[in-house]
Amino acid sequence: MLLINCPYCEETLPEAEFVYAGEAHVLRAETPSELSDQDWAEFLFIRQNVKGVHFERWRHFHGCARFFNAARDTVSDKFLITYKAGEPRPNLTELAGDAT
Amino acid sequence: MTTYRVAGKGRVDTGQPVTFTFDGKRFEGCAGDTVASALLANGVHLMGRSFKYHRPRGPVTAGSEEPNALIGTRRGAGQFEPNTRATVQEIWDGLETTSQNKFPNLKFDIGAINDFAYMLFSAGFYYKTFMWPKNFWHKVYEPFIRKAAGLGVSPTEEDPDTYASRNLHCDVLIVGAGPTGLAAARAAAVGGVNVVLIDENVECGGTLLSKPNAEINGMPSWDWLAAELVSLRSLGVKIMTRTTAIGYYHQNMIGMVEKLTDHLSDLPKDTPRERMWHVRAKQVILAQGALEKPLVFHGNDRPGVMLAGSAQTYLNRYGVLVGKRPVIITSHDSAWDAAFDLADAGADVRAIVDTRETVDEELQSQARMRGIGMKLSHTVTATSGRLRVSSIRVNPIDDGKAGDGLIIPCDALLMSGGWTPSLHLFSHTKGSLTWNEDQTTFLPKDTPEDCTIAGASRGLWGIENVLIDGASAGVKVAMALGKESQTRQHKVTHDRIGSGVSQIELPTDKSSGKAKAFVDFQNDVTAKDLRLAVREGMRSIEHVKRYTTNGMATDQGKMSNINGLNIAADALNKPQPQVGLTTFRPPYTPTTFGAFAGYHRGDHFEITRKTQIDSWAQENGAVFEPVGQWRRARYFPKRGEDMDTAVGRECRTTRAHVGIFDASTLGKIEVVGPDAVEFMNRMYTNPWTKLAAGRCRYGLLLGDDGFIRDDGVIGRMSQDCFHVTTTTGGAARVMNMMEDYLQTEWPDLDVWLTSTTENWSTIALNGPKAAKLLAPLVDGVELTEDAFPHMSCAECTVAGMPARLFRVSFTGEIGFEINVPAPMGRKLWETLWQAGQEHGITAYGTETMHVLRAEKGYIIVGQDTDGTVTPYDAGMGWAVAKTKKDFVGMRGLMRPDLVASNRRHLVGLLTEDGTKLEEGAQIVFDPHQAIPMTMVGHVTSSYHSDAMGRPIALALVECGQNRMGETVYIPMPDRTIAAKITSTVFFDPSNSRVKIPSGEML
Amino acid sequence: MTHTIATSPAGLLFGTQGVQISRMPPKARLSLRSRNANLMALSKAIGIPVPTKIGACDTKGGTEILCLGPDEWLVLSDVSDHIAEACEKLYASVPHSLVDISHREVTFNISGPQATELLTLGWPRDPASLRVGEGRRTVFDSATVVLWRDAENAYRMDVWNSFADHLFQFLQHGCRELAAQAY
Repeated sequence: MLLINCPYCEETLPEAEFVYAGEAHVLRAETPSELSDQDWAEFLFIRQNVKGVHFERWRHFHGCARFFNAARDTVSDKFLITYKAGEPRPNLTELAGDAT
Repeated sequence: MTTYRVAGKGRVDTGQPVTFTFDGKRFEGCAGDTVASALLANGVHLMGRSFKYHRPRGPVTAGSEEPNALIGTRRGAGQFEPNTRATVQEIWDGLETTSQNKFPNLKFDIGAINDFAYMLFSAGFYYKTFMWPKNFWHKVYEPFIRKAAGLGVSPTEEDPDTYASRNLHCDVLIVGAGPTGLAAARAAAVGGVNVVLIDENVECGGTLLSKPNAEINGMPSWDWLAAELVSLRSLGVKIMTRTTAIGYYHQNMIGMVEKLTDHLSDLPKDTPRERMWHVRAKQVILAQGALEKPLVFHGNDRPGVMLAGSAQTYLNRYGVLVGKRPVIITSHDSAWDAAFDLADAGADVRAIVDTRETVDEELQSQARMRGIGMKLSHTVTATSGRLRVSSIRVNPIDDGKAGDGLIIPCDALLMSGGWTPSLHLFSHTKGSLTWNEDQTTFLPKDTPEDCTIAGASRGLWGIENVLIDGASAGVKVAMALGKESQTRQHKVTHDRIGSGVSQIELPTDKSSGKAKAFVDFQNDVTAKDLRLAVREGMRSIEHVKRYTTNGMATDQGKMSNINGLNIAADALNKPQPQVGLTTFRPPYTPTTFGAFAGYHRGDHFEITRKTQIDSWAQENGAVFEPVGQWRRARYFPKRGEDMDTAVGRECRTTRAHVGIFDASTLGKIEVVGPDAVEFMNRMYTNPWTKLAAGRCRYGLLLGDDGFIRDDGVIGRMSQDCFHVTTTTGGAARVMNMMEDYLQTEWPDLDVWLTSTTENWSTIALNGPKAAKLLAPLVDGVELTEDAFPHMSCAECTVAGMPARLFRVSFTGEIGFEINVPAPMGRKLWETLWQAGQEHGITAYGTETMHVLRAEKGYIIVGQDTDGTVTPYDAGMGWAVAKTKKDFVGMRGLMRPDLVASNRRHLVGLLTEDGTKLEEGAQIVFDPHQAIPMTMVGHVTSSYHSDAMGRPIALALVECGQNRMGETVYIPMPDRTIAAKITSTVFFDPSNSRVKIPSGEML
Repeated sequence: MTHTIATSPAGLLFGTQGVQISRMPPKARLSLRSRNANLMALSKAIGIPVPTKIGACDTKGGTEILCLGPDEWLVLSDVSDHIAEACEKLYASVPHSLVDISHREVTFNISGPQATELLTLGWPRDPASLRVGEGRRTVFDSATVVLWRDAENAYRMDVWNSFADHLFQFLQHGCRELAAQAY
């Protein structure tokens, strides 16, 4: 069981309080009806499935109830960072610096 | 019977005899004995039969790594456990134990014929032998193999014991309370650091329990141990024994199983049998020690052949001589130490056979002093004795070859092939290993966890070395936690530190095809099997393992992995790291299902949610069904009624008079804020802007893919407040989905969602007399067609209770849903029930609700839809707003697949012969086509309709809405049923019944 | 009538020497949602400064307010009508949501020397992370609960009505297990 830092609660807590919510930074267009079939299909179905650092969403379901983002290494299962929904994707090179 | 107990030796209480049975025979042991030590004290080595060949077997170890001595233990009805290790199970008065894998009895076993069919059962024999004929597998081979093979017998009765679980957070967890762990705990327990020290054994001490002669800092080891435990307790260290760390999971989460009652003759009340601990430690120290390796030679599995270190443990810890005339076969100094202990305890050690040419002179002189004969550069080539070893054949090794043999009579053969660090938990952390050529073993290298491995588990030998290493590990973790600590000096004397060499199969003069030199005792894998696997093309140890099953038994290869690897590497002529090591996986030792289930069994298996009206339903004989986590009343049978009769009556009464239904489980969400209506417009397909306060509307919720996710009636309580209802099973999912869009896509909207499902009890009243029944109880709203038309909502009081009243119908009759504060639900129900008596009221459950709604063609999301159905497929295009800029699913509905011409549509089906269809049955257009037929849809709902006097069904059928009146076919196993496609609305298509007739004004 | 937590009066439900579990008397409660910028005005209306740290809890008079999330507060009050009225007046200028959820939950009081230990049976969090005087929404035996730590070994646990029987049976079983533990 993982330990997850909730960026809203500012606490590191057992995974049991959280639920996974898929890949992060998959932006829903302001007006989806303007998208081509191809673009819409990519929004709906195409995901990165990264081996390595993956940007993903979690929800502190049994806690503050917020959705937030995380960068997690899918090989080691280590979280590099968690950050609030709406914040930009963090810089990976800087993160790698922090991790060492 | 001869006793093998040695006076003055061991830690068992010889003053406290304990009686137990083994295969029905009574035995006496002492308090503190295991089943194995007690049987050995009685001269019994034969404790079981092996898995594949049914060869007689005795204990080869004295610990949890035991592969052979697996027994059944029984306490009473349901309290039977197979495959218990006799070397771990403590005895208690009345314990019943049985041997396994024998027929008709342990000493004469018919299955042992497998042993003579050895050639057939070699590596990969399952894959080779049972390939053909194909249809023999299920009928002949598998039943035979299942009967002949397998370990133990599964219990058949329900387990009456209880199991528990607990969460524990600590600063430092130390696994293993041998000298390493003890020293680590002492060093770590400084400055308020909270330390937990666990050991799978009954008592702490590890190797010290087997080495009473060693002296630590001038104290005999046992005295030092006792004093150390007192100090640790006074420092606040939590010490847990009979507790096994079974798995090491992410971020220092350790699963531990504590055995609480398996050693007690009288079970204390309210005490679980086992407890699963979920431990989260800031720092973990692994101090699991090392496991002794067997030697691989012909006949090394005969009862009486045992690891030398284990024989030493039986002597020093349990006061039992495993043999009075033992012989030693070894490639490591440690077995010499065992020989001396046994000799000093009165055993007539017949010989020490060592495969090495040279052995430390000090050891040789010690042996000479005791009059023990030595045979250096010798091998063992055979053992004999029917059910226990009675002699062995010893041959000189000359240039790697075995010379002429010499028979030595004996009653035990003690072997040692050196020691392997216990790396199981370290491997669970994804820790990397490094090959150490000197020790011919893998040693731990790096781990991604906050984990330190110390002592013998990282290849150190000797008590002094591991005490020092344990202490530095303790200092290291204390420092990591920001505390100062210091190592203490440890001086150990009388500890015989040795070394040794690693061996593959011992040299033999026997033809290699006939040698039964076992590597994996439990799975009956021999050295020959491993070499055969390599000859047949297996190159990786993972393949060799699966082909031979080496290391795949319940002991997970604790004895066999390194020997297996060394032999496979030799056969491949490659260095071991290139052949690889198989992965260790949790659990470390076999773990009961009970420990994993914990409290979650029986009534507590999972949460059962109940409404406030559930108790009334129970008292009134309802039959329940699970819906999501809820249990809901399915129907209310009167005496003698089956489900069909009861449901028929409930339907009839509701349509003729009035029915009352508990709808409290419907999800409810309060949507509040200045942007509430904008949010509703974006979430639901329907338009909401023009819905007036006090009115409600059926809402349809899609996913962005355009498929139906949920539905429900939504009331606008005020300009900025919507009372949203969802399906029972969808409540949490819908709330999650709404929060997702709100928080992450539209954070600019000023609107908030609050789950109010459980704030309200919801009672539905349906039927021609519903208004008449309810009106006298309502204050604040006039229940007329004009004042409160269909699809209205209002705040009012009902029977004096504050209420939200909805005029809605899921039956096609005049309908109301009355929401009152949850705790008042039952009171309102009883009030309505009383008031309804004069109107002929019936209570109805979910089954009747399903029938009544199907008669009207109302869908159940998840039953008539399956995640691939659009509003248009379901015939509900009317619910989709045409002029909105966007809503969830709008773009999805334009996807090419969703506008294709061959979509499956929801339609009604009426069978031509009046039979009721099966839900889920597949539909075809042409019943005469060749098999496999082209399936064009399936039946989603099917009931007997009382109102229609015939069965009705809903179905998804390809282009169904364009095929009204056509006949489709439903092939069943015994016949094919023809059915006509109809509208989904079977009953009262003009909706005339939902209107309150003006004559009923009150 | 079938005995359930829903039908039990306030008071002691079960007790051992180590832990007592009682049902708290019902109290009016409101779920308050708003943006941070509006908190000053709302604090004034409620009569207590609205805490902004998740888990922080403030009490004044008959009103208690717990911060559950960045825009979510649970208000327990003897004067909830008064609060609702004051907030309603602000609504046009201070958008917020105030929903009466007085009837949604059952509150257990769990106290006694073994109270913290009892919680570890079904609570994956480190008890030390919930300091005295704070509260959290969290998970207990797979159900969402709100847990307050009123003293070292005294807690309040809010559970939705329909979970109450299940959780009570679990707690009761746990009390018996702890009582049987040898010390």
